[in-house]
Amino acid sequence: MRQTIAIVLQYRVAIILALTLTVSGLIVPGYLSETTLSLGLDRAAAIGLIATGLTVLLIAGQIDLSGGAIFALAGIVSTILQPSLGILPAALVGVFVGGLCGAINGGLVVGLKVNSLVLTLATMLIFRAVAHWITNSQPVTGTDIMFSLTMAQIYLDIFSIRSALFIVCIILLHLWLTRTIAGRNVFAVGSNATAAEESGVAAGRVVFFGFIFAGSLAGVAGVLQSLVTNTGSPVFGSELTVAVIAAVVVGGTRLEGGRGSALGTLGGVLTMAALTMAMEFQSVPAYLQQVVSGLILILLVVLDRTVHTRGRAAGAIPLLVTQNPITTGGKP
Amino acid sequence: MSEIASELDSESSNERFARGSRLVDLLSKTGLSLAILAVILYGSFSSPAFFTTGNFLNILTSMSIIGIVVVGMTFVLVVGGLADLSVPATIACGAILSLGLQPVIGPVPAFVVAVALSGLIGSVNGVLVGYLGVNPIIATLGIGTIALGIVQAAVGGVIVYGANPESAEFVKGRLFGIPVVVLIFLAVAVIGHFILARSFWGRWTLATGGNYSAAEASAVPVKAVKAGAFVITAVAAGISGGLLGLTLQSARPLIGQGYEFSAITAVVVGGVSIMGGFGSVPRAIAGLIFVQLLTNVMVLDGVRTPIQGFVLGILIAGAVGMDSALRKRGVA
Repeated sequence: MRQTIAIVLQYRVAIILALTLTVSGLIVPGYLSETTLSLGLDRAAAIGLIATGLTVLLIAGQIDLSGGAIFALAGIVSTILQPSLGILPAALVGVFVGGLCGAINGGLVVGLKVNSLVLTLATMLIFRAVAHWITNSQPVTGTDIMFSLTMAQIYLDIFSIRSALFIVCIILLHLWLTRTIAGRNVFAVGSNATAAEESGVAAGRVVFFGFIFAGSLAGVAGVLQSLVTNTGSPVFGSELTVAVIAAVVVGGTRLEGGRGSALGTLGGVLTMAALTMAMEFQSVPAYLQQVVSGLILILLVVLDRTVHTRGRAAGAIPLLVTQNPITTGGKP
Repeated sequence: MSEIASELDSESSNERFARGSRLVDLLSKTGLSLAILAVILYGSFSSPAFFTTGNFLNILTSMSIIGIVVVGMTFVLVVGGLADLSVPATIACGAILSLGLQPVIGPVPAFVVAVALSGLIGSVNGVLVGYLGVNPIIATLGIGTIALGIVQAAVGGVIVYGANPESAEFVKGRLFGIPVVVLIFLAVAVIGHFILARSFWGRWTLATGGNYSAAEASAVPVKAVKAGAFVITAVAAGISGGLLGLTLQSARPLIGQGYEFSAITAVVVGGVSIMGGFGSVPRAIAGLIFVQLLTNVMVLDGVRTPIQGFVLGILIAGAVGMDSALRKRGVA
């Protein structure tokens, strides 16, 4: 019985996603068609790309509230520079601006040793102010509307460029977090920064590059959004921050740091997107949609806090401790 | 005996040790007052409209609504609860219900019910954070979303208008030449200061924020104290929302948007540490006064809104940077 509960809890995101898809497929006509799913995936990609970056930061024990502002700023820069640089170089500059914003966040958090919540709250205001400043609070338009049509094209019946990029990023991040030493160091820093530092992990550097990674991905998401809509606007992404944090946390990543997974984030993003789309198809009022997503967020987090399963505990404690030859008397 | 006394005396008057910290100590105590004075001086020279009774009454009135939230938010930061992001929802709850229930049960009971229900939202936050150990950011974000959705569903998702002109007159009116809203703010601030600085609850709050385990070991009911901070904030935000609704005579669901960040800004600029265990209501209000005066001067000088956001962002970053620097010296 315990075993079953443990397994159910371990794959709770996948189960909820499957349930959402099944129930919506039965109730909402045309929900499981390729067109609907590919459009849903494309819309989820913007949240997903920022969420991918935030996953690393949360695992490292930090948080970034400025993702939405970076999203807007990078999009604006890439749109404004289009006439002088051409579309692709301008897009690269936009991503670079995202990375730069991340570097500012990371440099200040590590250098001043301040709480990342308040600091990124401050930089969120600053980045958004810059975005309003350079655009005069007006939306800016790109040069080539046809290019945005190619960006929005669906390939292989299911992937747009955006959603394919999101999936690739998540898979690469999963491999990096689970298969490389640098990835493991992120977990070490998140669960105990002092201990990690003592063991020779440069905790400051991990956090710094975590912020650059998150900033760059928010930049990528912003640039792609601007390319797809052929617009850059200083108000883009203001409601994204909450959705992104919710998606990552639903995916099982802890805000306290030290635990989380890229595949969990993929599940979280897809679950939230599937739910939103199903409710929109059924014309559920926006405020009831909020109640449902809020309830799911709180439920999953409370489950995570209150139910400690054996399976998870065994994973958290090293084998040497659970089966220490000295305490077990040498018996296996 | 006298040897020990002289030993202690010489230690405390150790020149090299005391000189640096005395300066920092002085700066941390008077820095904000000096800054406020500087803004007032600059404002009086730069704009003829600044140093007038009318302008100061304007600042006071606009400060009062947010000030009530600031008093509550101080408790959350001091107890080590990071921040309460459900404030927009509790403000909306206060505003929408105190207007929406007016035709049904009369203005005063409507106000009381609105504040009580806001307190209920706060107690849900408190149970999640204090007793279940959910991260405050996630808990308040999720509960805020849910509460806002439920309140909107209750009134059908529309803008609510006031139906009782007398109550509006009372809130907008003056008592002894001072706006009623300001008097209510002063009352809330005095009560908040008394609780935090003079009562056992305040001592417990400071102890819990300073060192959770030590406070728990000293038989402080840490869980209740932590939960209480969120209830206090929610009640304050409910009062603030009710007053805001009565002043405007209309309440839309997003009425409280941005108040959470403004409140956090004021508290942090006032030198209350986000890490908990240190802070007072007068400090937070000094921070609020500084921010409000600065904004007022910028508005009078015709500084554009984006640049105002820029300045506020830098202000927060500077305040947290200073907090961490002072902390290292063991002053603040």
